[in-house]
Amino acid sequence: MDTNIHQTEMLYSNSPADFDYVRVNVPCQSACPAYTNIPAYIRSLYEGKYDNSYELNRIVNLMPGVLGRICSRPCEEKCRHGEPELGKPVNICHIKRAADDHKNAFEPPRGGLFGSLDERICIVGAGPAGLAAAHDLATLGAKVTILEALAEPGGMLMYGIPEFRLPRQVLGEEIGNILKLGVELKTGVRVGKDVAVEDLMSGYDAVLLAAGCYTARMLEIPGENLVGVYPGLDFVMQVADGNPPRVGDSVVVLGAGFTAFDCARIALRLGAKEVSICIRGTEQDLRVTHEEIFETKREGISIQGLLLSQRLVGSDKVEGVEFVRTQPGELLPNGRRRIEPIAGSEFIQAADTVIVAIGQGADPIPSPGEKDKRGVVKGDPETFRTSLPGLYVAGDFMTGPSTVIESIAAGRKAAEKIAESLSGKKFREWTVRIQDARITDRQRSWDMIPRQEMPTIDPSHRLHPFNIEVELGLPKELAHEEAKRCYLCYLHYEIDISRCIYCRLCIDSAPRDCIKLAEDVVLSESGAISKIVETGSWQNVSAIMIDNERCIRCGECVRVCPVDCISVSKVELTERAVGGI
Amino acid sequence: MPKVDITVEVCGMAGDGTIAAGGLINEAMSLGGFSVLGFDSYPAEIRGFGRCVTRSRIGTNSIVALTDKTHVLISLDDKQSISRVPFLAEESVVLFDNQPPSYVSEKESLAAEIEPGTALYGLPMADLATSAAGTSRGRNLTALGAFAAIFGVRPDWFREVITGKFRSKGERILDANLKSFDAGYVYAQKTFGDRLRTVFSIVDAAATDKNKVMLSGNQAIGTAALDAGLRFYFGYPITPATPIMEFLAKHLPEHGGRVVQMEDEIASIGAVLGAFYSGARAMTATSGPGFALMTELTTHGIMAEIPAVILDAQRGGPSTGLPTKTEQSDLHAAVFGGPGDSPRIVIAPTNVAECYHLTVKSFQLAEKYQTPVIVLTDFYLDNRVENLVMPVATELEKADGSVYPELSAQNGYARYLDTESGISPRSLPGMEGFEYVATGLEHTERGQPDYSPEIHMKMTEKRFRKIYSALADLPVPEELSLDGELDVGVIGWGSTFGSIEEAVYTAQEKGLRVGGLKIISLYPFHEREIRAFMSKCRHVLIPELNFAGQLANLIGKLHKGDVVRLNLVTGTPMSPAFILARIEALLQAGVA
Amino acid sequence: MDTRHFVIIGNGPAGNEAAATLREHAPYVRITVIGQEHVIYYRPNLLPDFIAGKLSEDDLYVKPLEFYKEKDIKLRLGQKVVDVNIADREIVLEHKEVIRFDGLILATGGKPRIPEHLQVFEHLMLPLKTLPDAKAWIQKLRQIDSVLIVGGDLTSLCFTKALLTMGKKVFFMIQGGAFWPVRFDADIHDSVSRTLTEKGVEVIDSENIKGITKISENEIVVNTETRKLNVGAFGAFFGLMPDVKFLARSGLTIERGIIVDERLRTRFEGVYAAGDCAQVYHPGIRDYWVSIGYRNARNLGKAAALNLLGEQVTADVAAPGIFQFDEITVNTSWWTEF
Repeated sequence: MDTNIHQTEMLYSNSPADFDYVRVNVPCQSACPAYTNIPAYIRSLYEGKYDNSYELNRIVNLMPGVLGRICSRPCEEKCRHGEPELGKPVNICHIKRAADDHKNAFEPPRGGLFGSLDERICIVGAGPAGLAAAHDLATLGAKVTILEALAEPGGMLMYGIPEFRLPRQVLGEEIGNILKLGVELKTGVRVGKDVAVEDLMSGYDAVLLAAGCYTARMLEIPGENLVGVYPGLDFVMQVADGNPPRVGDSVVVLGAGFTAFDCARIALRLGAKEVSICIRGTEQDLRVTHEEIFETKREGISIQGLLLSQRLVGSDKVEGVEFVRTQPGELLPNGRRRIEPIAGSEFIQAADTVIVAIGQGADPIPSPGEKDKRGVVKGDPETFRTSLPGLYVAGDFMTGPSTVIESIAAGRKAAEKIAESLSGKKFREWTVRIQDARITDRQRSWDMIPRQEMPTIDPSHRLHPFNIEVELGLPKELAHEEAKRCYLCYLHYEIDISRCIYCRLCIDSAPRDCIKLAEDVVLSESGAISKIVETGSWQNVSAIMIDNERCIRCGECVRVCPVDCISVSKVELTERAVGGI
Repeated sequence: MPKVDITVEVCGMAGDGTIAAGGLINEAMSLGGFSVLGFDSYPAEIRGFGRCVTRSRIGTNSIVALTDKTHVLISLDDKQSISRVPFLAEESVVLFDNQPPSYVSEKESLAAEIEPGTALYGLPMADLATSAAGTSRGRNLTALGAFAAIFGVRPDWFREVITGKFRSKGERILDANLKSFDAGYVYAQKTFGDRLRTVFSIVDAAATDKNKVMLSGNQAIGTAALDAGLRFYFGYPITPATPIMEFLAKHLPEHGGRVVQMEDEIASIGAVLGAFYSGARAMTATSGPGFALMTELTTHGIMAEIPAVILDAQRGGPSTGLPTKTEQSDLHAAVFGGPGDSPRIVIAPTNVAECYHLTVKSFQLAEKYQTPVIVLTDFYLDNRVENLVMPVATELEKADGSVYPELSAQNGYARYLDTESGISPRSLPGMEGFEYVATGLEHTERGQPDYSPEIHMKMTEKRFRKIYSALADLPVPEELSLDGELDVGVIGWGSTFGSIEEAVYTAQEKGLRVGGLKIISLYPFHEREIRAFMSKCRHVLIPELNFAGQLANLIGKLHKGDVVRLNLVTGTPMSPAFILARIEALLQAGVA
Repeated sequence: MDTRHFVIIGNGPAGNEAAATLREHAPYVRITVIGQEHVIYYRPNLLPDFIAGKLSEDDLYVKPLEFYKEKDIKLRLGQKVVDVNIADREIVLEHKEVIRFDGLILATGGKPRIPEHLQVFEHLMLPLKTLPDAKAWIQKLRQIDSVLIVGGDLTSLCFTKALLTMGKKVFFMIQGGAFWPVRFDADIHDSVSRTLTEKGVEVIDSENIKGITKISENEIVVNTETRKLNVGAFGAFFGLMPDVKFLARSGLTIERGIIVDERLRTRFEGVYAAGDCAQVYHPGIRDYWVSIGYRNARNLGKAAALNLLGEQVTADVAAPGIFQFDEITVNTSWWTEF
């Protein structure tokens, strides 16, 4: 037999051990709510296949151009390259944007290839969750109608995120690509007012409420009704609507999320002289990205920590905020920090505009069915069902405010469940795909390439025009350089111990303690390897093992192995159709 | 001009490229015109977990020994280097890899061990090599680059020696090594900007001889054998003598000779005797265990009066002992080993240049005195590198030492003729009318076996007389003395003598009345000269690397009082400071 | 036998005072001081005088190495802490060494704070925080006649004084935010501006820097909205930021410094902060405060050490600084020595 023929084997596994493996070993993909195959799209971009890279994103997250700008990037927090001794995480998000920036014009698939689900489905809300659900249901063959209360589709993407972070043309194009699948969009229709939920339920086979969260939360402190005080969400929505509110010279923003930062940066663009973001905790607890904090401060906005607002002062117009200083405590189970006010530390900070951007909640839609205490219909987080058959809820409307990527993932999952419950069959599943692979042309020296940061326009040019996009996008060369940094954690290296001659050349060439003299292994409940028991004594060595958690996929061990006993496979979470459509 | 005298040490694990790095330091600094003496020690196992250390003493003045204290420690493996910390001089420098593969506890950390007076320079060696050359294998070269930058060594010197070393391995490997070196150099210049030192850059190295080459004791021996017209090398590998065989295996065929690896040491000495018997220069090199196996046939050479050159590269013993450690404990075996009264010539070089000259000389001696000549070196001398002007043997040194019989002696030829010197004219096979029987049995002047009391008395005496007469051709003990009486006279031999020399000169600089005597010819030895030296010393000190004092046993009786022995069997060289301390202690005791 | 291991991160006044105090009260514990700089403990506040040539390098040093040997304090110079894992009681050094501790005092001091809008020019600035920085300035000042100072913290004022005694032309661009922990206001601005002008400094009122160009090694052109300045060198002086990046994953709360209570305790048992890196709520001014300066740092170091050993010392965190501050607003400045 000619052993030179490389036979590629591919198999799909639903074994919990393999899911467990991916969870630990491909941390970026596991961290993404939509399970975007990050190593794959970065590798595609490296190979210059921008279209393919974009498509690898779009098939699971639907709006790569949008997400490549404003995604909250849970993947980067988990990126192996960001481990303490390894440098900074790969700029995963901006590589996504680069795929969008440099791809050829994208044409979505048209009907005809779609599935057989013939039901009529109404989706309430054209935000990320609604659009995502519409997209998936349309591809399964359903006739989807979206009802949107506002004038334009996009939800928070359109109204909650300022243009200088997300240009409308990018958003419009990607929404358009979803609608092109045959989705009917009706804007300016407020469900519960213009049309009743009950009517929709009788007119459609299923109704999905994905109306988002549009009620700005307020602090419930005295003075919030003074002139010059704006709820953050209203503030950004008015700007998005083309009716920016007036701001004074000194603006205080209360809040710590992306909306607070957006409000502050918008206020600066509307002519404010001094803008400060006042937060209860400290900068280190902020959930916005480091880049966002840096750019905001670079524009001249200050962040003041350890302040809790007590009341807004002023006779009819707001004149200032009374703060009390706070003492930060431990992290609470919800990930936020306990904050205690320090008695006696009150002081007043002058301000002529105060923006309260502390979050938002869902606006109840009148409907039958079981509701929570604020009157919002309750849904099951797994099945998205409500107490009424045919009525579903999803996205922020169900969970409260979340991120765009979570909403898209939730919308897609809701679509899957709706299709399942309407047809009684399963359309698709997540599975672990394992195939033979080889080491790539990645060189160990690429691991030392510094993270390529997003170029931005100079702060002095950001205010005019007011909505100019701040981030310029990674040019091809930078994106390519950044793509080289990805370890490609979907590759799995394994020593065939029956062929290993224990020469230890792999250990000598290892970049870190990733190859171990093992005495034993400990398996997790799922059957995946959870720990390698190392030994320093030759007598006890039962195998030389690659610790895939420590492995940075540099390939050095494969290159130096004299007996070629280290195999490489590619392990990815993939979504696949089941049982035919 | 400022003087420089620093000791640089590279320490790592087998496989880290420690020895290669040390070698490049020696070569580069030699190229730059500095005096260099280097010595490596490495693990006994062929591929194991052992520690490798290279030490290089670099100076503007001539250097004859290593010192205890290290001024610069380049650590390629911190766990190994920790054991070197006690040897660091005050205000020393430690270069280490600050991005090792794994995390270590405080106990295993080099940085935790060093005193605050030692300056730490950390660089990510493997990462630098990888970024520069795509492979971490050049991490030792990055350390050299950093060393050059920190100490103001011209990088060109390193680049030249790196090129010399790696050119033959192909463009790619050479390029990777040069890039790794440059990466370390550039990193250090950038990172340690305000901590760079100008140790070497302010010294005008042009003042010293740049035509020097780095030569190890073993290379010198091999080169000498080639220059002396060696035709055959027979041997069996053994540390630390193997490099001689490797060297000759490469070069001897180019000179028309042959290297034969024999089945063991007995066969090796047998073949050497056979070759010499037929008139060809031949040699073998071994170490203690192999030398012991050769004993019987060596005495056969003595009895049958066949020349042989046997090099015993001593190591720690007895038996397999400490294969990669140094010791001078085969002296008794070399001088006395073997059955019967078997006088032979035993000489020991004390430095690399002498390794060369005495090896050349050994062939002539063997031929002239028709006896095995044993050259005693040891691990420290064999593996030590010194930079020196390449030694060249004169025609006189290389000339055939044999005394051939007069034509008139034809037919009545007495192979073992008892002459005044004891030297019997030698014939070679094929010389018509000069045929004889070479036998290990006691024999008459004509070579006939004869066990009569008269013959054995006479011939034994003849063989001793012959060996004593060799004293005229053997190097006379050399004094490092002041005129007049001495408080302490230090006598030494072999590899330890460099340290003695430095200790004696240091003592003299301190105004102490201390002298030294170098003994090269250990058997026979120059009794009169040694006695004369001893007689002007209040104390005679004999430092050597064996337990009981084998030289002291050999020559101690020549002194009117007891000689003072200074012995060390740590497997490591004896330092000048160790000897100086003993000298000073003797003087103090003398005062009290 | 007391086998506890107390680790002090920082080899400045706070760290050294803490170490000496610990040894004095706990003769048998293991004490390790880890300093990021390679030089032994010196007084950073004297660097301007060192630059001016009034003091020699030896004048800056506080304690010889023998002190540490004698007191059995392990001093580790030139070693950088990159992580603190409080749950496991471990600190991690940059060279991947893990050290166990029983008690920890964070006394890392500060590093020069460069405001975000000036960070793009950082490669053109010379900082002045460490001895090597001072040596770099000495080199530079041999070749140049004029210096632009942006900001206006305590260091910049002492440094200006040194520059004037050396006969250099000083341009001073006062910018708000430089006076941390003192809040910048019009009074301070005027008072500083007046004093500086009297001394012969050319004060340039707060202006935005539009661009900085390096013409040659010793010539920098600074463009503001209204002016174009040619200077030999340029430095930004916006006070210090606590050097606590290595604590990002530690769970300690950090704002401008490590937040501690009036006994210098962090939220974790046995972990204290002292000196410029500690941020303490001060009831007197009803605000958080970071005590700066040599004397304060020593006091805090001592208090932290005593509390670590079980005392209940309230740190006198702010008083000297604040009184000085009050003097400044009333009279001239808290650089009264100026």
